[in-house]
Amino acid sequence: MSRYILKRLLQGIPLLFFISLILFLLMMNVGDPVATLGGRRVTRKADYERLRRQLGLDQPVYIQYAFWLVGNDWTKTDLDGDGIAETSGTRRGVLRGDFGVSLLNRKPVLEVIGERLPNTLILMLASEIVIILGALLVGVYSALRQYSAMDNLITTLLFIGYSMPIFFIALMSMYLFAVLFKRWGLPYLPTVGMFDPQAGKTTMQVLWHMVLPVTSISIISFAAYSRYIRSTMLEVMGQDYIRTAKAKGLQRREIVFVHALKNAALPIVTVVGLDLPLLLGGAVVTERIFAWPGMGRLFLDHVDRVDLPVIMGILMLVAMAVVVFQILTDIVYAWLDPRIRYEK
Amino acid sequence: MLNKKHLLTWLSLLVAVSMLLTACGGGATQPPAEEPPAEAPATEAPSAEQPTEAPPVEQPTEAPPPPPAERKVATLIYTQEFDNLAPLYTSMWFVWTTWQMNNHWAWEFDEKNEPFPRLVTEIPSIDNGGISADGTVITMKLRDDIKWSDGTPVTAEDFIFTWEMAVSPGNTVATQYPYDNIQSVEAPDPQTVVVTFTQPFAPWLATLWHGILPAHILRPIYDAEGTIDNADWLRNPTVGCGPFNFVEWESGSFARFVRNENYWGEPAKLDEIFIRFVPDDASQTAALKAGEADIGYWMPYADVPALKDLGYSIIVEPNGYGEWMFLMVNEEKGHPAFLDVNVRKAFAMALDRESFNRDMLLGIPKVPASFWDGLPYYNSPPLENYPYDPEGAKALLDAAGWVDANGDGVREKDGVDLEIDHATTIKEIRQDVQAVMQQQLAAVGIKLNVHAVDDTLYFANYGENGPAARGEYDIQEWSDGPLFPDPDIYYWLCDQIPTDENPVGENWFYICDPELDSLIKLQSTQVDAVERQKTISQINQLFYDQVYIIGLWQDPDYYAVSPRMKNVKFSGVTMFFNIAEWDMEQ
Repeated sequence: MSRYILKRLLQGIPLLFFISLILFLLMMNVGDPVATLGGRRVTRKADYERLRRQLGLDQPVYIQYAFWLVGNDWTKTDLDGDGIAETSGTRRGVLRGDFGVSLLNRKPVLEVIGERLPNTLILMLASEIVIILGALLVGVYSALRQYSAMDNLITTLLFIGYSMPIFFIALMSMYLFAVLFKRWGLPYLPTVGMFDPQAGKTTMQVLWHMVLPVTSISIISFAAYSRYIRSTMLEVMGQDYIRTAKAKGLQRREIVFVHALKNAALPIVTVVGLDLPLLLGGAVVTERIFAWPGMGRLFLDHVDRVDLPVIMGILMLVAMAVVVFQILTDIVYAWLDPRIRYEK
Repeated sequence: MLNKKHLLTWLSLLVAVSMLLTACGGGATQPPAEEPPAEAPATEAPSAEQPTEAPPVEQPTEAPPPPPAERKVATLIYTQEFDNLAPLYTSMWFVWTTWQMNNHWAWEFDEKNEPFPRLVTEIPSIDNGGISADGTVITMKLRDDIKWSDGTPVTAEDFIFTWEMAVSPGNTVATQYPYDNIQSVEAPDPQTVVVTFTQPFAPWLATLWHGILPAHILRPIYDAEGTIDNADWLRNPTVGCGPFNFVEWESGSFARFVRNENYWGEPAKLDEIFIRFVPDDASQTAALKAGEADIGYWMPYADVPALKDLGYSIIVEPNGYGEWMFLMVNEEKGHPAFLDVNVRKAFAMALDRESFNRDMLLGIPKVPASFWDGLPYYNSPPLENYPYDPEGAKALLDAAGWVDANGDGVREKDGVDLEIDHATTIKEIRQDVQAVMQQQLAAVGIKLNVHAVDDTLYFANYGENGPAARGEYDIQEWSDGPLFPDPDIYYWLCDQIPTDENPVGENWFYICDPELDSLIKLQSTQVDAVERQKTISQINQLFYDQVYIIGLWQDPDYYAVSPRMKNVKFSGVTMFFNIAEWDMEQ
């Protein structure tokens, strides 16, 4: 297995290189970062040319990519525009762990991402746990009681949840549970933020502020996951080995949770495995509405200002996560299904 | 082989680590109990001589000490997060706003947008000898009591350093303007700053010294690195010269300021200010309604009545910006009808602009008649808008030869339909107004084709084939104004017309009017305010007579202020000019 993992990791390197190249080329068409630095006014010609030179944006795309990849500390740059490259570069490049600095706040990209990643992880992992556990319960229940009144009711509610846009769910829940509940004298939830700055960043504060965003994120995915589990469970419950298990007189609980669910979970692992790396990207809409300081908001803010180093950093992080989580998914496959072996 | 137990253990660890990183990573924000003064008093008060032994007198029953006064903590909501907090390094409105908390301009502007001295003893003028006869030298006298929050005096050295950093090729400042017009900054003594321009520079009052850099903090960094780009002070300006001290900025969440106990001016009445970053407009309104914030900005106009019902004051402050339609008057670009000034007048008269404001903006802003609407001194004598007069518009069009001969509802002349292309961005209010304009213009026989373009594409520059920069539409629309609070403009200069050789030209209206061109150039060199006012008035009248632009609505700053806040005023230039006087009911 370790050889297999190593092989997959090595295969990921050219893949990531190719992804980075494509993303970098795409980024060249996102917009002009210097054009937005003038605030509400168009950046002056003199400033425009100076900033492009200082930030290295006046170089051809392949040079910019090379500097991004391997740095520019081996060459000199022309900062004052006199046509003579006299100042040594300071960038070490992605291959040496330097993702550059943000064009907006001059912070290292990894520091910018590092400030937000934990916030996103806590929000998204909590949501994923709620989604998976809830969907397992509801999906299995619906499959075992197919076409019952409760199954129909659950199906109806799930489709209502699934068909509502997330911004609507988020804003409605905010107005109901935060604004109106407070007005009505009921216990209420906070509207925005990850914690109340005046109260401080305590675990209870974070948990309390998580309630509404986690609920909003969960509702839509919960519907999709539970329908998926329901259908795979229905398929598995009709298999011969389940009938055999029943004939042997095994307890229903054992049949469902040991024999049926484990096999039904195999395709679900694929879906979860695909979803997990995207968790790092955060929930753009939910984070924006609830002012949650996560990766989704970071991405949106920096796309608005065309902050190319940060955008590239986030996208590469997600790309790397996809590669890693796909390997993890394969490992979990093997754990769930002993018939699967990756080594010859 | 990974077994079940290990998998669960790893998952649990992952969740726990995330929780811990989140809860502990940024360092808990402790509710501040007391801020110690930044600097110990220079001399200690002599301690009263204590008796060796207090006589055992019977103590009267003392009344319990009064409860400590509740700290006055205000919370503001910003819909955009700072990029940094340093003067020179940003053009963000929200950072400009914040500077008055922990930094100062040499002179600031009040709620009437009138300048008043802050770090200087008086504003330089020709009368007080602060401006040389040829208009190239400005001499400033600094107050002798101003100091940074760490106790270091603010001196002319800080001003010289600020200029040097603005023009240093090692620094990626947002703009070098206006410092690149300066030939030298000298300090004959610590309280005197002499600024010499390369030529008379009229906009100095509005553009110079927007915040000062502390030389004693940043010069050692610059000397070592050749740049201050990486200085921590840019993002954590813990040393300032304003009424509040910056304490912390948690990315994506909030920034915190506490009263500067070492402030050289009148101490601030508030103990602490939190700025929370809430990017969504609807969420900002919800937070205000839930009482989680005291001041919000630029709420959707539709939310204003509900906030008023909750007792919020809505303060509207002109900032020089207005929503304008810019007409393309050019023989090669733009509709040929717009070459006739009477058609342009008819266009203005066919639009009921008051109705846009009344029906869609709840009457909060006004319809500007002048590009200098926010600067009454320069809009003098004040202009009045062309009235809404569809019949008058029809008569003008008829007289100009634009008639609907074929009965299709659209006027034509020489085989050309009066069909105008109007473009703006996808902002909702703009699209709503476009739809109404379309109807109103159709009533006088003008067909308006409306285009709504994404901001990034719309404002892309000439080299990137931006449609506005390329002059692809007959009318363009966005929010703009003069170099407020200075009246300077330059868009309409003939040499600003973009070309392949000059792709960064900003005359996106492709108008080259020699009279306008010479007047714009003249005003930019007039340091005598009276003379300049006369020139600007001429430009103002020319804009009006020629109908090169049509105002739709002012685009002011507006704020919702909680009823518990007191003495809150705003300026359109230095927004928080009186923040030290802000107070709140306990």
